[in-house]
Amino acid sequence: MEDVRRVPKVEKAMMLSVQSKEPFPYGDALCVPLDEVTEFRQTSGTTGKPVYQPDTWQDWEWWSECWATLLWAQGYRPRDRVFLPFGYNVFVAFWAGHYACEKIGCEVVPGGVLDTQSRILKMKEIRASAMMATPTYVLGMADVAVRKLNLDPSIDLDIKKITCAGEPGALIPATKRRMEQAWGAKVFDHAGATEIGAWGFECEAQPGALHVNEAMFLAEIEDLDSGQPVTEPGQCGKLVITALDRIAQPCIRFDSKDIVELCSERCDCGRTYSLLRGGVLGRADDITKVKGVLLAPAAIEDVVRSIPGLGDEYEVVVEKKGDVDHITLKVEIAEDSPVTPEQLEAHLKTELRLKTNLGYDLQLHSYGVLPRYEVKAKRFKDLRKKSDN
Amino acid sequence: MDSLKQMASEVEELRRIAQNLYDTSDDFPAVNRNAKRILASIQMLRINLEISSF
Repeated sequence: MEDVRRVPKVEKAMMLSVQSKEPFPYGDALCVPLDEVTEFRQTSGTTGKPVYQPDTWQDWEWWSECWATLLWAQGYRPRDRVFLPFGYNVFVAFWAGHYACEKIGCEVVPGGVLDTQSRILKMKEIRASAMMATPTYVLGMADVAVRKLNLDPSIDLDIKKITCAGEPGALIPATKRRMEQAWGAKVFDHAGATEIGAWGFECEAQPGALHVNEAMFLAEIEDLDSGQPVTEPGQCGKLVITALDRIAQPCIRFDSKDIVELCSERCDCGRTYSLLRGGVLGRADDITKVKGVLLAPAAIEDVVRSIPGLGDEYEVVVEKKGDVDHITLKVEIAEDSPVTPEQLEAHLKTELRLKTNLGYDLQLHSYGVLPRYEVKAKRFKDLRKKSDN
Repeated sequence: MDSLKQMASEVEELRRIAQNLYDTSDDFPAVNRNAKRILASIQMLRINLEISSF
């Protein structure tokens, strides 16, 4: 491992710089002749310009292999009929999940350009047993089923397994609970990225942690401040990851910016891969200091979704008023809320203070006011200048 | 363990045959392209069995 650490790390910004040069479009990051490239995907570009990701057919087999490993661990078997309600496009999203299902022998149903209601009705019609989506969309679909179709997914549909990707949520306890209750299904998390691959997964035992797929990835954890290796359980660090078999655009010591914590327990499933407690706890560029306190957006989500009477959506805005950081939290009151808005506000304020050590300007809105998302939701908005925090 | 060694040996034999098909099929595109895909699948078998590429 000491030798590995001598290899410089790669960051997304470096990839952008390399790809801005000739030969078009991958620059000299491409490590095979262009003729060998069979797949193009790109990152979602949430931090600016997207990174292009070339893959050979062997790389694509490898992507499917990563996903087949995680789906098998989550209980997917040839008898499953898996519905994929996502837009098949330039983003990698669930593409590899699709091919992995084929590899396992599941029956795959592509729910590409259908709208949400049509997707729900199709899942009902064909009695799909599993699906994959972002946590935001899993909750959004359940909401549409109840409101627009008068269906209760936990009763009227046959979905028993849901695999999430693209956002945290499936390992945020309150969000996981909401999804599992809404669908009557087990919800599993997985972690990965376009430039890396699907490196981590929650297994059927649901240990509240992610397994690192160490047969296909080399994971290092670094201290956030010193950059020194973190090898002892219980300490948070940043994940630096290497994909062991990716060839077209290799991923060697990629700085994922994912914050993780190694745990010492062994999983009941019997796998001996490293376990990361709570999965991806946040992103190094998301966790920010507000009023001098470290704030992780996931902690706010866990509070909001743990309170009965609040809807699934929320929005956090951090801004500077004078010299003071100011946090506004917008939430929605569920239409079937069993308590008054005043009681909700008091409950929310107490829980936020307990779990995040911060005070908020709370705004309670009627149901349906806040924006809805299908893919990567942007619920945390830091409007301060970078130099301010 | 012996069965794993046996599997690994058979995978290497598969690879040798598929590589030979690929190398000798330049003028037969259908065979060449299918052999290429088979080689990619064989590489996944090598990963499954932890056969080193080096």
